[in-house]
Amino acid sequence: MLQDFLQAYVKKYGFSGYTELRAQQNRNRSVVMLNGSLTANNSGTSRGLSARVVKGGAYGFASGTGYSDDIEAIAKVVQTASSHAAFLDSRVQRGKPDFPANAPFTRKDGLEHDVPVEQSYLLGIVDELDSYIAERFPRLLSRRIFARVLDMEKLLYTSDGVVSHSYVPRSNVYVFMTTQDKDGQPVELYDVMGGYGNFMNNFPNAGDFFGKLEKQYEQLILKAEGIYAKPGIQTVILDSDLAGILAHEAVGHTVEADFVETGSVGGPMFGKQVASEKVSLVDIAHTAFGQLAPVPVFVDDEGTLAQDQMLIENGILTGYMHNKESALKYGHTPNGNARAYDFSDEPLIRMRNTCILPGTDKLEDMIASVEDGYYFTDMNNGQADSTGEFMFGVPMGFEIKNGKLGRAVKDTTVSGVAFEVLKTADMVSDTVTWTNSGMCGKKQVIPVGMGGPAIKVQINVGGRS
Amino acid sequence: MKQAFEVKDKALLEAAELILAEVKAIGADEGETWVSRSALTEVYYELGKVSMVRTVFSDNVSLKLLKDKRKGSTTLNSFAPQDIRLAVQEAWQAAQSAAPDEAEGIAELQENLSFSTGEEQPDLDAMYGQLEQLLKDVRQDFPKISFDSIGIEHNFGEKLYANSNGVRLSERRGLYQLSNMFMAKEDGKTSSFNYFATVYENPADRVCEEKRVRRLLDETQRQIVTEQFVGSFEGDLVITPGCLENILYYVADTYLEDGALISGTSPWKDKIGEQVVSPLINFELVAEHPELPGTSVLSGDGYVAENMTLIEKGVLKNFSLSRYGAARTGLPRSKNSGGTYVLAKGDTPLEEVISGVERGILMGRFSGGNPGPAGDLSGVAKNSFLIENGRITKPLSEVMISGNLADMLRDTVAVSQERENSGYWLLPWIRVKGVTISGK
Repeated sequence: MLQDFLQAYVKKYGFSGYTELRAQQNRNRSVVMLNGSLTANNSGTSRGLSARVVKGGAYGFASGTGYSDDIEAIAKVVQTASSHAAFLDSRVQRGKPDFPANAPFTRKDGLEHDVPVEQSYLLGIVDELDSYIAERFPRLLSRRIFARVLDMEKLLYTSDGVVSHSYVPRSNVYVFMTTQDKDGQPVELYDVMGGYGNFMNNFPNAGDFFGKLEKQYEQLILKAEGIYAKPGIQTVILDSDLAGILAHEAVGHTVEADFVETGSVGGPMFGKQVASEKVSLVDIAHTAFGQLAPVPVFVDDEGTLAQDQMLIENGILTGYMHNKESALKYGHTPNGNARAYDFSDEPLIRMRNTCILPGTDKLEDMIASVEDGYYFTDMNNGQADSTGEFMFGVPMGFEIKNGKLGRAVKDTTVSGVAFEVLKTADMVSDTVTWTNSGMCGKKQVIPVGMGGPAIKVQINVGGRS
Repeated sequence: MKQAFEVKDKALLEAAELILAEVKAIGADEGETWVSRSALTEVYYELGKVSMVRTVFSDNVSLKLLKDKRKGSTTLNSFAPQDIRLAVQEAWQAAQSAAPDEAEGIAELQENLSFSTGEEQPDLDAMYGQLEQLLKDVRQDFPKISFDSIGIEHNFGEKLYANSNGVRLSERRGLYQLSNMFMAKEDGKTSSFNYFATVYENPADRVCEEKRVRRLLDETQRQIVTEQFVGSFEGDLVITPGCLENILYYVADTYLEDGALISGTSPWKDKIGEQVVSPLINFELVAEHPELPGTSVLSGDGYVAENMTLIEKGVLKNFSLSRYGAARTGLPRSKNSGGTYVLAKGDTPLEEVISGVERGILMGRFSGGNPGPAGDLSGVAKNSFLIENGRITKPLSEVMISGNLADMLRDTVAVSQERENSGYWLLPWIRVKGVTISGK
């Protein structure tokens, strides 16, 4: 647990002008086992302090690795940030007033999750999973298991009296299996387990996951015997994982206010129909459907109390994600989207838990409604564009013929223009599933949650003719 | 510059020697460590203005120890002796639980050396001036361009590798880097986003004078109004240098590096000495190059890297294997396992690379899923233009390509005489025949 050395600094020196002062510790663990051999067995800590000062609308930022009770070291970081703000202010002479002050508050969130986990515990789980795969699945060419822990702890003081101490744990195990198809070509499928929470809570017994491994292997064999998808526009049911990444990559990035300001397609479409009225999209702060969201944010790194941010409501684009500066510019309310990854990072406008809200359809009815198309179940990565054009990889799926699932489909991609694809969504399932294993990249990486129901759309498939 | 071993910042040496002493004292057979101290200064532009000046002071330590070939490793960002002792204990505990791996080890004794390049102190005034000049030049010459962000940073650091075999290697580097993301917009319409990064030693350089930068800005301006590609055909694909860097990264990962060779999934695992791709392809990993300030001469596993040919006239000459990868596969350790790519220039003028295309596309950026282990690749050809009868005719959107990485290099029919240089890669344009190109 981070000790609070900032309070003593604030008591002695106070703040001069708008300032955010943040101590942070990211703890990482990783274990990688490739074909039974341990290729990585790492633990690490990144701990430090940063200050961001705003003068006349110019930002100065500084960070250092030595976070301790040395108040003068804290003062040096703040002074460096102040001198940077003064340097830039003297050049740009923007003359902006300080941000409106928040009402002061103090919060502590998630600190009870700071439970140490031994590296040997990760090794034990990975070893058991590996042994099970080696014994049970004879057709594998290779297997790789990757256990990862990232616990982020932040202590924030702002000049307007906000004090926030938060702890967000995440632990995952990724399992990659590779076999060969009839031509001897390698075919791979991966699955990921875990999410919010410390490793021991998420993985109390390896045996709890053997069923998932069996299913993954079964699907891999189907994929190895599968077909390539047909290229072109197809009727596709995107299962939850893909709907989640669609919400994140294809829509979420285009409605981040900094991207809007640059010229993303989200700008001119504000207030307009951008999706079928069956589609509503929200960036959830911390709680969804009565449960904690995958990456809960209660207070962001500018000290804003986090609230859900509605983005699309019944098909109409109704909101952007903001930091304090962009919210002021657009006359909107900031809802806690300013997030930094490491102590040495400044807060950027980031998503938290983007989710398409559930509809009323049953997945089996959706499949039955497709005469000729595909049901894609997994995703592996994705990218979006300022135009709303997007692409993501599809490592697993099935063809649908006459309303029934058919042969498995080998690796493919889907792409399109977000708002056009979402306008074709004519069925939305009634069940939301979350993923909590992804890192979003935008100058810095950051953990994000993605969720959604299954949706039926017309979308471009990058198959082979 | 190469010289006899000398570390200027004595705190690095003290931390490294303490780590190796603690590793020995705790009972480990072998140990190695990287210790570094750096200062990054950045001038940043976003939301339509120069918005921030930022400094990041960093101390970083990584260490690995082995006991009976059982490995434990840890990282921290403190040189404090009490933190180092805790980190060694943590690595020791991790090693206790690990299974032995005969391939584990550390770099053998070699000549201790130091390397240095670039300036230690950032010139903040020059960095600010360079950013202002870039914005002014772009406003004047490319008025439709809108930058999402621009970062000009100076990063100076000294790093030291030390291990229990007596190896001591160090490097001091001070380099400037400019990175950005931008798009073009006009009348409520927006282009696809684009970006470039460049590494250099002089912040007085006028960025917008570089041909590559002007080409990217110009092409992006011409991407505001695009045509949706309809249909599917097999045609020629011309890949720009920046996009080729991305493709070569996939090639290295899928066919040439540790992961693919240890797992046995590399389709080229038994092909050393064989023709694997077009004889026009000459692919090299470089550790030092007079035109590339962004190279690094020290490998992550404690060796001085050398320039190394991966593919010569289409023949596979070397893999890119670390010490560990070599020990696991029984193959020789590579002289270079880094990621600085140079592709030799070809004998076709760029104009003819394009004019030789009957029907195909020019691809400026690839946005796709990671290729499968067999090298199958599909994704969106971003920032692309249609080429018909040897001429670039119109900008496209929603156009996808599908193929196989090895097949694409095998079917390369032209390599340009011209190359572009980002400071950390030096690459030409290539033309590939018979790629599946599809749209709506």
